[in-house]
Amino acid sequence: MTTDDRRPLTETIFYVLLALGAPLHGYGIMQQVSELTAGRVALGAGTLYGALTNLTEKGWIRPLQGAADERKKEYVITDAGRETVAAELERLEELLRNGRRVVKEGWR
Amino acid sequence: MSGKVVYRFYSDYEKEERWLNEMASRGWHLVRYRLGGYHFEQGEPGEWIYRIELLPADPRNAESQEYLSLLLDSGAEAVSTHARWVYLRRPAAMGPFVLFSDLESRIGHYRRVLKLLTTALATLVGCAGALFVVSGESGGLAFQIPMVILAVAIVALVLQTVRVSRRARRLEAQLLVHE
Repeated sequence: MTTDDRRPLTETIFYVLLALGAPLHGYGIMQQVSELTAGRVALGAGTLYGALTNLTEKGWIRPLQGAADERKKEYVITDAGRETVAAELERLEELLRNGRRVVKEGWR
Repeated sequence: MSGKVVYRFYSDYEKEERWLNEMASRGWHLVRYRLGGYHFEQGEPGEWIYRIELLPADPRNAESQEYLSLLLDSGAEAVSTHARWVYLRRPAAMGPFVLFSDLESRIGHYRRVLKLLTTALATLVGCAGALFVVSGESGGLAFQIPMVILAVAIVALVLQTVRVSRRARRLEAQLLVHE
């Protein structure tokens, strides 16, 4: 994994990875992300499709073989994808820790 | 159901999209686009929201088919395709019709459009150059008329390129602060 791959993830990428613990096709991902965020994140089809292409190229997700309908591919997260999420969570936890501490102390 | 055909030419697809949505708000819904002809059918005012998108690949391509199937699942339909451009619509009752929900992908779409514009521009400039060489010294009407048409098209393309790159840069500036 290159250092480039350790940069912060976009919200779109983060939630698509979270949604793909179990195989889902495109529309299933949209629904799952909407559910996870109580409707706050509504992925546009163009945005999601671009994300699926990028994530597949990076090897963080993979399409499942043998879909009955080639146009309705299902995707699932890979081990590399899980590692990416774990690393991002660590970064976000640091962000939260620092943010909470500084705000609590009143921005001295 | 009554219908009509309106002939128009747009170099700016965002302006074109606004016009289609204005027509839709007055009850005229695009059902087909072909060579400058917009075919409308009359229906409920504001029934549909229209979007125009440049696909990354030919609409018949497997990846484009997968994408169009995703759009279909999410309630949208492809009204018409024109080269890599696709005219999409979704019932307004389903809420806002957003194709690109984050800054990165909106910029990505602008970049895609810019690439097409620069390719088209290079082709037209090449044609103008070839015409210039072929016509030699004759310089008659047979040379001047196509040359004027090419010049007008080139100017329109340059203006559109400037507009789109300005829009892309404006979004890129936001990226410095927001995701």
